Amino acid sequence: MTGPSRREFLLDAGGALAAISLFPDLSGASPLAGADPIEVGVIGIGRQGRAILTELQKFDAAKVSALCDVDPSRLESGARRASGVEGFADHRAMLEKAKGLKAVFVATPTHLHRAIVEDSLAAGRAVYCEAPIASTLEDARAIAKGARGSKSIFQAGLQARSNPIYRLAWSFFRSAAGRDLASMRGHHHRKTTWRVTASEPAREAALNWRLDPEVSLGLEGEQGTQQFDVFHWFTGRYPVSVRGAGAVRLHNDGRKVPDTVLLDLAFPEGARLSYEASLANSFEGTHEVFHGSQATIKLAWTAGWMFKEADSPTQGWEVYANRQRFGNEEGITLIADATKLAAQGKLQEGVGLPQPPLYYAIESFLKSLAQGEAVVCGAEEGYRATAVGILAHRAVATGETVEIPESVLKVD
Amino acid sequence: MIALAARPAMGTRFEAVLAGEEEGRLRAAGEEALETIEEEDLRWSLFRRGSLLTLINARAGDVSVRLDEEAFDLLETCRAIHRDSEGAFDPTVAPLMRSLGFHPGPPPPMAPVGMDAVDLDAGSRTVRFLRRGIALDLGAIGKGHALDLAAARLREAGIRCALLHGGTSSAVAIGAPPGREGWRIGIRGEEGAEPRLFVELRDRALSVSAPHGRTLLRDGERLGHVLDPRSRRPEVRARAAAAVSPSARLADGWSTALLVLGERPPRTPDDLTSAILDEAGTWRVEGPDRRIFEAR
Repeated sequence: MTGPSRREFLLDAGGALAAISLFPDLSGASPLAGADPIEVGVIGIGRQGRAILTELQKFDAAKVSALCDVDPSRLESGARRASGVEGFADHRAMLEKAKGLKAVFVATPTHLHRAIVEDSLAAGRAVYCEAPIASTLEDARAIAKGARGSKSIFQAGLQARSNPIYRLAWSFFRSAAGRDLASMRGHHHRKTTWRVTASEPAREAALNWRLDPEVSLGLEGEQGTQQFDVFHWFTGRYPVSVRGAGAVRLHNDGRKVPDTVLLDLAFPEGARLSYEASLANSFEGTHEVFHGSQATIKLAWTAGWMFKEADSPTQGWEVYANRQRFGNEEGITLIADATKLAAQGKLQEGVGLPQPPLYYAIESFLKSLAQGEAVVCGAEEGYRATAVGILAHRAVATGETVEIPESVLKVD
Repeated sequence: MIALAARPAMGTRFEAVLAGEEEGRLRAAGEEALETIEEEDLRWSLFRRGSLLTLINARAGDVSVRLDEEAFDLLETCRAIHRDSEGAFDPTVAPLMRSLGFHPGPPPPMAPVGMDAVDLDAGSRTVRFLRRGIALDLGAIGKGHALDLAAARLREAGIRCALLHGGTSSAVAIGAPPGREGWRIGIRGEEGAEPRLFVELRDRALSVSAPHGRTLLRDGERLGHVLDPRSRRPEVRARAAAAVSPSARLADGWSTALLVLGERPPRTPDDLTSAILDEAGTWRVEGPDRRIFEAR
């Protein structure tokens, strides 16, 4: 990624705290135009699989030629979202029969990833694997080792690493704003049951794997892994221990998997990450916050802001400022490539991430396939984030502090 | 047991009311139905830069855009309603709406309207615009389309009694509440007025259109948001129109067409029941399900 030039950042020089939105460069909107279509398959046509199909439709460089799901109803629903695809109930049959397939997207329940990823890599297919990449350390390690030993491309679906706003914020964080990091906070609130319905009870039980304590990593693993990785990536550090607690606060339907969790992750040199996730409340959605001595950065997946401390150095590029109010604070909207957009009279159009974060994750995967670009998030990063998610889940399940030794974070 | 679920989507509020035995399961089914609506909003929003509709509008003037089965079916339905309503329903009004100020943004240099300039190729399942400046706006059918898919999701989950609505102007009913013939819905013909027409909806969809929903003051004249695509002006020949159909998307598209026309055209679908409020303030109900309407 090309780092933002200093004049692309607009900082508030005034007193109090200033909020600054971080927005991506919109100039590169062409989705891999000119590339030959790559045949891809999607395995697992639940909510995430359908979202992948929706985004894939935007790329001329990819053509979905095969879908796979054990559930006929979901397979049928996926086929309506793609054109001229072949459906399979078994991924091995798909890998065997769909000869033109170059890559697969693995969006099955987490605990089923391993066999699918291993078979796909063995069949010479590139793999995009949703994160967490597995529900046990053993499976996650096997996937990472398999990917490392394969000539095929493997991308873990940790979406922040390809999100233009996060990439922009990352470069800024690493250059200045993250100096003297005081603390970090992760937040995921969405009022939802996490349940899936089906007309047949047996089918319903299988579809509700996230509520099955035998295989589910809970909110802290299934959702937290994505967000923990933001902190790993920005700080270049991994936590050394985690403790947590969870409870069913709203959905008293007999479930054992908590609908609300709180965690405390200790990072090296004293920094701590507090993480809160709930299915009982939607307030403030999903975001990550870094509190530094110079500024606070808040990232919310489709937007990002920086709140400068009053005593942090004034920069010279406030001229392009687009001001916003946040409660009592007046902030400045920061738009990457602001100079160019302003010249085109399109500054306002630069506000907000134009595509869902998943789009950019898929785009980077296709760029690796079609243009040989470096993978934005490989198996090792996928493994480490997954390992933290698994151990966070262990902490919530046991109520004990779980140590995270360096050895656990190594694939070998 | 009754469960409620609601989500904002398509610039309004969608709500699901479900009846059954287990509240948690009902709530989950309602959420899934509303998530389906959110997915359709992401696909068909005219105002989201990442939507499929934005992609179609940006590219179909230059190249044939490949569509999935659902998307192609929706555009074919639009073409059929356009044809059968003699052009009173036309999803290519987007540039004209912008030109008149109903949509945000500067007026386009030209505002062509014409479904005849939208080429749908069933063989390759592609869409291509044959004239410069053409753009689609599915605002008159999108809610119904989303409700159809959401209702299908509920039925697949085994739900036998539910009502889904979007912004109270489009609704779909599954079964009927216990002890009732259907879900009783009052239809308001004038803004702020008490409903004088009621419908008992069961396994049917209802859509209501009226010019007063959204208006714009222009040169001292208050303009309603429903355009007659043929005259290119915000003018309609009824005070309100309602359509009942097994399909929510048909009900949605046809309620707009009937509002513009003020009467049922000869090619109105046989299974569509209409209620049109004329200028004299009388509801005229026609079609196979007349008996489910009650005027007061």
